[in-house]
Amino acid sequence: MNPRPYLLAGPAATLLIGLLVCPLLLVIRVSFYQPANGRGFFTPGTWTLANHSALMDAHGLGLVGYTIAFGTMIAVVVVMVSFPLALFLRSLHSSLLRFAIAGITLPKFASVLVILFGLQQLLGDTGPVNRMLLTWGIVSDPLRMMRGLFGALIGEVFLILPYAVILLFVQVLEMDPILESSARGLGASRWQVFRRITLPLSMPGLFLAGQLGLVWGMGAFLGPLLLGSPENTTLSVEIQRQAFEYGRWPRSAALSVQLILAIGICLAALTFLHNKVSGRPLGGDR
Amino acid sequence: MSPYHIFRTLRIVAGFFVVGCLVAPLLYAVWLSFSPDSFLTPPERDWSVRWYQAFATDSRWSMALSRSLMVGLACAVLSVLAGAMLAYGMERYLFRGKGTLGILVLLPMCIPPAVLGMGLLPLFYAVGLWGSLLGLVLGHAMMCLPIVFLIVRSKLRQMNPDHEMAARGLGATPSQVVGRIIIPLWGSALVVGAAAAFAVSFNESMVTLFLATPTTETLPAMIWPQLRYSPSPLVAVASVISVIIALGVASGLGGIVKLVGAKSRNKPG
Repeated sequence: MNPRPYLLAGPAATLLIGLLVCPLLLVIRVSFYQPANGRGFFTPGTWTLANHSALMDAHGLGLVGYTIAFGTMIAVVVVMVSFPLALFLRSLHSSLLRFAIAGITLPKFASVLVILFGLQQLLGDTGPVNRMLLTWGIVSDPLRMMRGLFGALIGEVFLILPYAVILLFVQVLEMDPILESSARGLGASRWQVFRRITLPLSMPGLFLAGQLGLVWGMGAFLGPLLLGSPENTTLSVEIQRQAFEYGRWPRSAALSVQLILAIGICLAALTFLHNKVSGRPLGGDR
Repeated sequence: MSPYHIFRTLRIVAGFFVVGCLVAPLLYAVWLSFSPDSFLTPPERDWSVRWYQAFATDSRWSMALSRSLMVGLACAVLSVLAGAMLAYGMERYLFRGKGTLGILVLLPMCIPPAVLGMGLLPLFYAVGLWGSLLGLVLGHAMMCLPIVFLIVRSKLRQMNPDHEMAARGLGATPSQVVGRIIIPLWGSALVVGAAAAFAVSFNESMVTLFLATPTTETLPAMIWPQLRYSPSPLVAVASVISVIIALGVASGLGGIVKLVGAKSRNKPG
């Protein structure tokens, strides 16, 4: 047996097992503990299903439903916005392209908190966007964009979009431009070229962007917490709230387990859908 | 103008409008940071740097800044070392557990940060890493692993493995192969990976929040309560400074890439 690959993989494997697998197993175990009485995170040596069954009531199911709906909406919006943007980037020449790419990647050098802070101020009830709309007479009362579903959605979309655009841009660049121009030359309309050439060839990238939006949307925390409404929140927000505001660590762990399960199920469903639509398994011959 | 030209102009306008929207929150935060008073209204005539002075004179903020820098740099070094070694091992060797490891290394991207924080806090508490910067470094390095791994692996896939074989065949020791072949040819991917890891760690706020204690208060941990309960221009200042540092480190590392590239081009062969 050659020891070299094991030595090479060793540090990364140690990090992953120690700081990813162990914490996840710990979360699962904690979700079966009885809540702490007094000190610590939980009562050691106990087993209970109460934390999990407590989530099966209407409130818990509503939380899961909201999280799945939120992730789906994020995935749809991210794909719908990033795909045209990626195609637009492809149509640009070098200097304009560099400018546009810089604009898209710049926010990723800033903390997530900064972007959300900027959005909070820009779109708030007395923010410049509302003031502009009021002066132009488009609305008579300020639009309530923050502290609701719209705010949470737009916050998360702003955070995920740059990744999706770059991912799709790389994908559409790989496409041979001859295919589209020859289809045009053979008499296909613009729409036909898009429908028959551009869209099918971008499918792997679109699927990946959808996956990204779904997973990160379902795990969203900062957007819903800072820009969303306090009543309707995602599971991630509830995890933090249960743990830090109420000190119910086992309950929070049970929510975490549910979130991971929900994400896994949704990903599997998306993959199934993809295979159904494209007629071949993902990652097959390309 | 033909309809096609109108369509093209409209497309450019619409495209740059979307790009503009993406940058707008950041630019607005920068503008707010020059506010002369404590209200969150952007300055129009009288710009002021008083919030920058307030930031510079408060030792809590400067401590947080230096902690963030240290954690970011340590995380970059650690995740590049571990990630590059893993990518190399996975690309060049067949070994047992390779498939599992391939999935495992991408998993940090799929696990919501809230769940990660939820698991890491009791774990760190149990092993005594709670309240230490080392815990933060390790956590961030694990989160950056997939990014570094993907960047280095895509570079490795473009490279010809024969270079290493040839060097070995001609009598180079493994350390000579690393020094003469791997670092010059893949150096750029390592540096890009390091820059990405630094930017992620420097700006990471979720796991930082879960693990935050007064002794590990980094920049995001300082911004957080302010943002949630009493937003002031000081938040904007902290944000601007963190963006400048992240950009500075990234472009500094970019400069190294260019230098390495120029050097390896000048070498014969």
